[in-house]
Amino acid sequence: MRVVIAEDAALLREGLTRLLEDRGHTVCAAVTDGGGLLAAVAEHQPDVAVVDIRMPPTHTDEGLRAALVLRQDFPGTGVLMFSQYIETSYSAQLLEGGAAGVGYLLKDRVANVAEFAAALQRVAEGGTALDPEVVSQLFRASRQRGGLATLTPRERQVLALMAEGRSNAGIAAELVVSGGAVEKHVASIFTKLGLPPGGSDNRRVLAVLRYLGGKPLA
Amino acid sequence: MDETIQRVAETVLRAPLTRRNVHELMYCGFGGLAGVAGFWVTVVLLLSGLTISASVIGTVFGLVIITLALRFSRRLGSLHRRLLRRLLGHQVEAPPRFQPGTGILNRVDRRLRDRAAWRVVWYSLIKLPVSAVQFYAVTLTAFGLVNMAYPAIWLLFRNHSGDNLSPLVAVIPVPFGGNFQISSWPGTFPAALAGAVCVVAAAWLARGINAGDRRLVRGLLGPSSLTERVSELERTRALAVDDSAAALRRVERDLHDGAQMRLAALAMNLGMAREKLGTDDGQPDNATVRELLDAAHRNAVDALADLRDLARGIHPPVLDSGLASALATLATSSAIPATVSADVGTRPAPAIETIAYFCAAELIANATKHSYANHINIKIYTERTGVLHLEVSDDGVGGAEQGRGSGLSGLAQRVSTVDGRIDVSSPPGGPTMVTVELPLRA
Repeated sequence: MRVVIAEDAALLREGLTRLLEDRGHTVCAAVTDGGGLLAAVAEHQPDVAVVDIRMPPTHTDEGLRAALVLRQDFPGTGVLMFSQYIETSYSAQLLEGGAAGVGYLLKDRVANVAEFAAALQRVAEGGTALDPEVVSQLFRASRQRGGLATLTPRERQVLALMAEGRSNAGIAAELVVSGGAVEKHVASIFTKLGLPPGGSDNRRVLAVLRYLGGKPLA
Repeated sequence: MDETIQRVAETVLRAPLTRRNVHELMYCGFGGLAGVAGFWVTVVLLLSGLTISASVIGTVFGLVIITLALRFSRRLGSLHRRLLRRLLGHQVEAPPRFQPGTGILNRVDRRLRDRAAWRVVWYSLIKLPVSAVQFYAVTLTAFGLVNMAYPAIWLLFRNHSGDNLSPLVAVIPVPFGGNFQISSWPGTFPAALAGAVCVVAAAWLARGINAGDRRLVRGLLGPSSLTERVSELERTRALAVDDSAAALRRVERDLHDGAQMRLAALAMNLGMAREKLGTDDGQPDNATVRELLDAAHRNAVDALADLRDLARGIHPPVLDSGLASALATLATSSAIPATVSADVGTRPAPAIETIAYFCAAELIANATKHSYANHINIKIYTERTGVLHLEVSDDGVGGAEQGRGSGLSGLAQRVSTVDGRIDVSSPPGGPTMVTVELPLRA
């Protein structure tokens, strides 16, 4: 996997570089701001970029803005936002163009190296990796709108794991249930959210997106 | 009894010879000039504004002239206050700054309701007769001095006999005085005596009229009315809110860039160390693990230090044992040698202590950065009147300014939220002395 890192704190930048190189990945460039990120991605065309949200010069959301540009101009490069905070509006903006190749993790998650690497791998391959914190925040937000009221607690759990980017098999392993049970929950979620069965498996992403994007649920 | 009379007489007679008299007379001269000029400009502008606005087509133009008069009055007020401060050393606070509205109509409306400006107009009207008396004091002094010089003048210029010179004329500018002619040297003595009397009288006249003028300035050119007090409170409340929001933002930023970042790095190092231990199937890479643990350890220690600094920045624990010891601690950590003398009677409210402490910290930091001083002196004491004084002075190069956006103006803002004030004296070349006055209770 070829990775570009954008992180202004030297300690974390070097730590991440080492962590990824230890696991046999290539860190093409490690930059400290949004402009540097765009330049590095244009130059190296990496599989995935790890992007801190708060970077110089304004220390607000330049990472996010750079990430949105990346999503537009370099669809082949996955973007993993990496931040000390989860902002619902940030996740919504990030996921507006689809959940493929997008991740949003708390920096805390790096403590579990294997899981972090797996999430990064998923994003690089066009999958999704959302922090459980993102998911629970969005749940709270959409519960206030009443959209998820019809889901049972178990279905909510399943949807949360779907939002994190897990496959059915992954969800089954996490919840210690059979694959069939998970499939039944997923189908029920689709029905309750008004996603008709069609040929595409985009319904999975759509289910997550429905509330991630802040749109009212059907 | 005799002693008392002697002392009073001495005071009366010495008054003209004091420095203060020079200042009083200068104030009479300049203040009188400003008063007369201000009176005429104000009257001419206001009257023409009123006349023009009385006619139907000129209303707008007239209003503009009136607002001009009021703008002028604001300026005039600050000129009077400045003269009073410079020459007589009497500080009168400025009324709250004019708050312009948005839009032309609103702006004109606010100007017309600007009470502070209208009070200056009143002052200008009353000041005209005051100015007359002030000019009179100056005139009296001038003539008196000339008369006193007559014996000398006579000796210098009339010491040749035989010429048919017209007699000297001494003018005594008092109602019962008048001119008298001098035709011999001894004849100059009464003139000199009368001159001396004039000078003494002028000194006391100047003191008297200036005392009255001071009262007028304080009453009409300072902040006094309730509405102004309210708008001042509104302004300082806004500052207080901004200040606390900025403080919270600073704390968040410090946490984000400091402790949080270090703890994330710590978690990462520990995670990597655990992997090294776990995956190598009984063959842990000891060197690498130790290195990772070292880094984690360093991060933990640094995070603790960051948090400690942050906590101290929010509320220095040493402040709990009083300002005196807090400032002493502050002084020991100053890069420039600093001495503290504290005489704090009743303990101020905690909020006041905190403000005083951070003012001192900021002033010491300023001095360290800009003054090139060899020594800093910190003095803190309470007055009977319930005012806490903090003085931070240094023997550095001076030139500190309370300009916009400087650290000092930030301090002034913070201090004003509790009705305190800050005074900076820092002439180029030094020394710098900053005085902060705070009430004991917020």
